[in-house]
Amino acid sequence: MLGPWWITISMGMMLLGLGPLYAALFQIPLNSFFPNVTLGLIFWGFIASTINDSCTVFAAAASYLKHSNNPLSLFVWRLLARNILQLAHQMVLYLPVAVLSGIVIGPSTLLFVPGFALLVVNLHAIAISLGIICARFRDVTQIVGSLVTFLMFLTPVIWMPESLPARARLVLYNPLAQFLALVREPLLGRVCGPEVWGGAIAWTVVNVLIAMSIFSWKRRQVVYWV
Amino acid sequence: MAILRLENVTIDLPIFGFDAGSLKKTLATTVTGGRIKLETGITVVRALDDVSLNLRDGDRLGLYGHNGAGKSTLLRTLAGVYPPTKGTYRREGTLASFIDPMLGIEMDATGYENIHLRGLVMGLNRATVNRILPEIAEFSGLGNFLSMPLRTYSSGMLMRLAFSIVTSVRADILLLDEWLSVGDAEFQERADKRMREIVDNTGILVLATHSPEMIRRECNRVMELCHGRNMGEKELPQDTTAAPPLADVI
Repeated sequence: MLGPWWITISMGMMLLGLGPLYAALFQIPLNSFFPNVTLGLIFWGFIASTINDSCTVFAAAASYLKHSNNPLSLFVWRLLARNILQLAHQMVLYLPVAVLSGIVIGPSTLLFVPGFALLVVNLHAIAISLGIICARFRDVTQIVGSLVTFLMFLTPVIWMPESLPARARLVLYNPLAQFLALVREPLLGRVCGPEVWGGAIAWTVVNVLIAMSIFSWKRRQVVYWV
Repeated sequence: MAILRLENVTIDLPIFGFDAGSLKKTLATTVTGGRIKLETGITVVRALDDVSLNLRDGDRLGLYGHNGAGKSTLLRTLAGVYPPTKGTYRREGTLASFIDPMLGIEMDATGYENIHLRGLVMGLNRATVNRILPEIAEFSGLGNFLSMPLRTYSSGMLMRLAFSIVTSVRADILLLDEWLSVGDAEFQERADKRMREIVDNTGILVLATHSPEMIRRECNRVMELCHGRNMGEKELPQDTTAAPPLADVI
C-alpha cells in the first residue's frame, strides 16, 4: 500500500533511533548532530549501495550481454538511476530535520549540485571497474562488501569530523570522507574548503583513468566471463 | 543498404574451470605451485575457425550443420555479441535478432509493462512504443491477461507475447535461430503470415536451421558449418522445380 515510501520510513526509523541516542552518547547538542547524521546516513546508504551493487551489475545482466550488443554503461546507468531514486525518496526526511535544527541555507547551497555531479561521475567509474573485475573474479564482491562496511567507520557518517583529535585528521583524507563532505556541507549551510574540492577532483581523475584502462583492456572479454 | 561482412573470423571461447572465478583460489594455485588440486584452468574452445561471409541486400543465408557446429556462435558474432578473436566484422544497417525472444522479459511486471520494457531494450523511444502498443496487444490475442504479471502466464502465452513484441519492429538485417513458430494452431497461422511479411521486407536474412526444406523454401544461399569451419557456401537456385535435391547441394 505504501509502496516506495517504505524506503523513506525505514530510513526515518533508523534516524529516529540513532539521532537522539548518539547525540547524548557523544554529548553533542541535538540540533547540530541530527542534520549531520541524517545526511551522513542517507548519502552513505547511497554510496555503499551503489558500490556494492556495482560488483554484480554485469553478472546480473548476463542474458542481455549474451544476446545483444548493448553498451556496458547502460547497465551502470540503470544501477545509478535506481540508487538515485532511492536517495531522492530518503532526502525528503532531511527537510523537517533541517527546519527543526535551524539550518540556514543560502546561495552556497547550490554547490551541492556540482558536488553531487562529481560524486556520480566517480561512482560510474568505480562501477565500471568493479563490475568488470567482479565479472571475472566472483569473490571480489565479498571483499568489496567487507571493505565498504569497514570504511563506514573510517568516514564521518555517524561521528562528526570536528570531534576528531588533530593527529587523527589524516582519516578525513579518505576519498569517501571527501565526497561525503562535498555533498553534505552545502546542505548544512556551510562551504567546503578548496582542499576538499581539490581532493575530490584528484580522486575523480584517478578513478576515471582506472576505469578507462580496465574497460579498454578487458571490455571484450566480459561477455565470456558472465 | 544493408551489409553484413565477416572476413577470416575466428572466435575462441574461454571456458573457465569451476574454481577459476575465485580470486583467492587462483592466487592460491599460483603461490602453492599448483599442488592443491583446484580447477582454475581455462580451456579455450575454437568455436569458429576462419569463417568468411559477405552478405548484401536481398541475401537469405541458411546456416546448416550438426549440433555444436557453431551456428549459434556465428549468429551471435553477426549480432555483435562476440568480438572476433581474429578477423574483421562489418555491419551496416539496423539489426533485429530473433535468437532469444524472451530477452529482457520481467516476470513480475504486467504484459503492458513488458511491452514498454522490451520496446526500450530494442531501441525504440517511449512515444513509438505507445504508438505500436495497441497493435502488439491485438496481435498477441491475450486480451485482459496483458494487465496481469507474466508469472501468471502459461509458457505458450509467454511465447506469444514475446513473439508479438519482437516481430513488431522492422530492421534491415534479421537473424533467426530456427523459424519462430509458437502458440496454438490459430496463432501459428497468423504468426507464419507475419514472419513471411517480415522476411519478405527485410534486407538480409540469416537463418540457422536443421531443416533442409526450410532452407530450400527461404534461402538463396546456404553455408554448412562443421566443427566451426565453413565447409562450403553455395548459391541455391530459386526455381525449385528445376532444383536438384538438397542432399546433392549441401
